[in-house]
Amino acid sequence: MYLVLVPLAQLIWRTVTWGEGDRRLSPAAVEGEVTGFHWMEAFSGPSSNAMLFEPLANSLFTGLFAAVFALLLGGVLAWVVTRTDMPGTSWLRPLLIVPYVVPSFAIALAWETLFKSPRIGGLPGLYETVLGFGPPEWLSYGPTPIIITMTIHYFPFAFLLICGALASLDSQLEESAELLGASRWTILRKITFPIVAPAFAAAAILTFGKTIGTFALPFLLGQPVQYATLATRLFSTLNQGLDALGYILALVLIAITALAVYASSRVLGGNLNRFETIGGKGFKGQLTRLRNWRWPIFGATAAVALAVAVFPLLLLGYQTLMLVDGFYGFDNLTLHYWIGESDPELAEGEPGLVRNDVILGATWITLKLAFISAAICSVVGLIIGYIVVRDRGGWIAKLLDQISFAPFLFPAIAFAAMYLSLFAEARGPIPALYGTFTLLVLISVVNRLPYGVRTGTAAVAQIGRELEEAAEIQGASWMRRFRQIVLPLATSGLVAGMLVSFVGVMRELSLIILLITPSTRVLMTVGFRYAEEDQVQLGNALILLVTVLTLAGQYLVWRLGKGRLARLRERSG
Amino acid sequence: MEATIEIRDLTKRFGKVVALDRLSLTVEPGEFLVLLGPSGCGKTTLLRSLAGLETPDEGEISIGGDVVFSAPRGISVPPGDRRVGMVFQSYALWPHMKVKDNIGFGLRVQKLPRQEVEARVTTVLDDLAMGGLGERYPSQLSGGQQQRVALARLLATRPPVFLMDEPLSNLDARLRMDMRSELKRLHHDTGATTVYVTHDQSEAMTMASVVVVMNEGRIQQMAPPGQIYRQPANVFVAGFIGMPRINLLAARTLGDGRARFEVGDFTLPAPGAPPNAKVFVGARPEDVMLSLEPADDAVEFQVYAVLPAGPETIVHIRRGEVTLVARETRQLELKMDQSVWVGFDPAAINIYDGASGELLPPEGGSRREAASRMADGGRTG
Repeated sequence: MYLVLVPLAQLIWRTVTWGEGDRRLSPAAVEGEVTGFHWMEAFSGPSSNAMLFEPLANSLFTGLFAAVFALLLGGVLAWVVTRTDMPGTSWLRPLLIVPYVVPSFAIALAWETLFKSPRIGGLPGLYETVLGFGPPEWLSYGPTPIIITMTIHYFPFAFLLICGALASLDSQLEESAELLGASRWTILRKITFPIVAPAFAAAAILTFGKTIGTFALPFLLGQPVQYATLATRLFSTLNQGLDALGYILALVLIAITALAVYASSRVLGGNLNRFETIGGKGFKGQLTRLRNWRWPIFGATAAVALAVAVFPLLLLGYQTLMLVDGFYGFDNLTLHYWIGESDPELAEGEPGLVRNDVILGATWITLKLAFISAAICSVVGLIIGYIVVRDRGGWIAKLLDQISFAPFLFPAIAFAAMYLSLFAEARGPIPALYGTFTLLVLISVVNRLPYGVRTGTAAVAQIGRELEEAAEIQGASWMRRFRQIVLPLATSGLVAGMLVSFVGVMRELSLIILLITPSTRVLMTVGFRYAEEDQVQLGNALILLVTVLTLAGQYLVWRLGKGRLARLRERSG
Repeated sequence: MEATIEIRDLTKRFGKVVALDRLSLTVEPGEFLVLLGPSGCGKTTLLRSLAGLETPDEGEISIGGDVVFSAPRGISVPPGDRRVGMVFQSYALWPHMKVKDNIGFGLRVQKLPRQEVEARVTTVLDDLAMGGLGERYPSQLSGGQQQRVALARLLATRPPVFLMDEPLSNLDARLRMDMRSELKRLHHDTGATTVYVTHDQSEAMTMASVVVVMNEGRIQQMAPPGQIYRQPANVFVAGFIGMPRINLLAARTLGDGRARFEVGDFTLPAPGAPPNAKVFVGARPEDVMLSLEPADDAVEFQVYAVLPAGPETIVHIRRGEVTLVARETRQLELKMDQSVWVGFDPAAINIYDGASGELLPPEGGSRREAASRMADGGRTG
C-alpha cells in the first residue's frame, strides 16, 4: 500500500505545489505553497504543445500502432505455432521469444547499425555501405523505426499470451464445428477467435501499456530528429530539473494506461486479473493441417524468427569487432572492445569489456540487484500468494490482490518518477533513498511484485488445502506448517519465478534510468550511456553481455519448468 | 480410547448460506456415526467444525468432556489440541515426505523421542500390512496403499476420536468394498468414537452403528441404519434413502369411514390414517407386490419397463399418470405393456403428512407422539 498509493499521492502533490528550483519559472513562486501554475503551464502555456501535446500524440501514435502490429504478428505466429502442423515448432517457439528477452534497446542499436544515416552525424550504417546511398531519413529515425522496433520487441509478449489461450482451447470445440460442415475460415472466425478474444484483448491492453511506457527505443531512434514521446520527454524534463512538469507527464502516462484498462474491463466485463491467469492446462488437440502451405508457412515463420531474433544479435556482435565503426572489412576486425587495454586513441580511452572497471562494477551491481530483488520478490510474492489463496474471499486477500497488481497499471518510467518524487528527500523515519542501492532494490521488487504474486499464488494453489490441514490436526504450528509443508512444496515454483524476476530486473532500463547515480550504475544504464555517447562497439558489447546473461537465465527457467517442476507437480497431483 | 462428543446449537453461516442451523447431536463413546446427506447439506462443515478447521458462529462442542468450542464463552481450541485424528478425502499425504515421515509427523510435533517415533511408525505399518513401504514416497504407492498410509497417520497418534471425510470415495469400486470391512474391523479394534462423512448411502448403511441424515444444515433423522430404511422420519429421508427410490404417492384419505386412500382413479386400504387428509404414501419397491392374476384390493397396472439385475428384477409399472417401481425377486416372465395386479403390504407402508411431510404414527396415535418418537429415534433404535 505504502509502496504504491503513497508515491502516487506524493507525485500528484508535487505537481500542485511550488518546488525548490521553481523561482526561475515564476517570480511568484514560494516553496511549498499550493499552485495551479504547473498544470496551467503544461496544458495551456506557450510551450505546452512541445512539452505535452506533441509527445502525447506521438506516444499514442507509436504506442497504438506498435501494439496493433505486435498483436497481429504475435497472434498469427501463435496460431501457426500452436494450432497447425507446421514443422519445427519446438525450436521456433523459443526463438520467437528472444526479441522480448533481450534488452529493448538492443533492437534499437541493431536498427541504428543497419540504417544509420550520416546526415545525423557519425559514420554510415550497413545499408549505405552495401547499397552505396543513404537510407531515407524516415527509415532511420522517427516514428517508423520506433514502431517497427517496438513491434519486434513486444510481439513475443502478445505471442506468449495468445499461445497460452490457444493451447488451452479444447480442439473438440473446433472439431464439432467441422463436423457440422463449417469451413476452416468459418471455424477460425466463429469459434476460435471469439473464445480467445478475452486473452487477445488482455494481450492488447498489456502490450499497449508496455509500448507507451517504453523509453529506450523512442529515445535512441527519436532523439536525433527531435521526435519525443511522453516517456522520453519525461526523462529530459526531469534531467532539466523541471520536476513538477515531469511528474505531470508521468500522471498523463498513468492516466492513459488506466483508461485503457478501464475501457477493456468495461468492454469485457471482467477484471485485469482474470486475463492475467489465462494459460491453464495444455490440451493437445487435433492440429489444423496446412497441406501444401506447410513448408511456405514454415519458411515465412523461420524467416521472421531469424530476422528478429538472430540477425540483430549477429549484427551487434559483428559490430563489436570493428575497430572503427562503419567500415566493413577484414582488416578492421579487432577484439579490442572485448579484451583490449585502455588506449587513448580509441573509445576515449575506455578499456575493453573484461578490463573495464566501470563495466565490471556495473556487472556486479546488476547481478546483486537482480538476485536480491528476485529473492525478496518471490518470498513476498509467496506470502501474499499464500494469503490470497488461503483466505479466498477475505477482505485482506482481496485488498492485497488488487494492490499488488497495481504496478501493472503504471508504465515503468512513470513508476520511477513516483519513487523519485517520494524518496528524493528524507521524510519522517524514512531516509532519502535517492541514489542508494536500497531504492533500486525497492522499486525493482515492487515493479516485479505482480509477477511474484502470480507465481506465489500459483505455487500455493497447487498445494492442496488438506495437506496443510492434515498437519494442523496433528498440532503443527503455522510456522512449522509453512516451513515443512508449504515451503518445500512451493520451492520449484518459487525458483522458476525467481529466475524470471532475475532476468526481468537485469534487463530493465526504463524503471531505473531516473533513479541511477554514478555509484549505483547497472549494466543497462552504462550501456545506455555508451549508446548515447555513440561509443557503439562498447555499448553493443555490453548489450550482448546482458543478452547472454538473460538468455542463460531464461534457458534455466525453461529447463527447470520441464524437469523438476513437472515431476513434483506429478507427485503432489 | 473412548470419548463422547456433544454438539449443542451449532450454527455456521457462509455469507447468506446457513451451512449448520442450530444443530445438536450427541455421539456416544465408541459409536460409528455416519453423517449422510446430499452435497451442500452441511455434513462436511460439521465434521470440519469438530476438527477445528472451521469456526462456527454459534453453539458449543465438547469432546471427551472438554469444551473445545464455545461461542458464548469465546473458546476455540486449536485443531492440534482436540485429540482428534482425521482422514481426508484426498488423503492429504505430503508428497515431499517418505511414508514413514508422513506417519511420524504428528509424533515429532509432540516431541516424542526418535526411537519411540520409529517404533510406533513400524508398529502401525505392520498392523496395516504395509511393513517395508516406509521408505517410499506417496507417489510410488497405489491408491489403496495411499489410503492405508492416511489411516496409519491417523492411528500413529492414537487419538480417541476419528474423523473421516469421504475417505473411500477416491478408490475404485472393488477396493472400496474391501476397505469398508477393514475400517469396520479397525473401529472395532480401537474402539475410537468415529464420525464418518459420506454421500454414499450404501456405505452409510453398511458401516454405521448410527446414521444421521442431514439436509440444509439440519438433522433430518438420527437412527440405526435399519430404522432409517424401514421408517424414514419424513419424505426427505424417505426419498433420499433407498435405491431404487421409494414410491411416494400423493394421496387423499377418504372421509367415508372406509379408511382408504384415493390415488388417481383407484383406492387403497389405509390402516390408521386420519380421515379426509392430504398425505403421502411411501412404499419401498420391495413392498409393492405384483401378481399376474386379479386379486382382492389389487389394482391393475401395465408394465412399462423390465430391468433385470441378477438376483432381482426392477419393474416399472404404470396406470394413467401414476408410475410405480417394484422390486421382484421371483422369476416372473413379464412383457412390456402386459397387465399386472398390484397390492401393498399395509404393515410396511409409511404415511406422511401432506403438508409437513412428517411421518404419521402407524396405528391411531397422534402426530405429536410421532414427532417425539422421531426425536429420540436414535436412542430407541
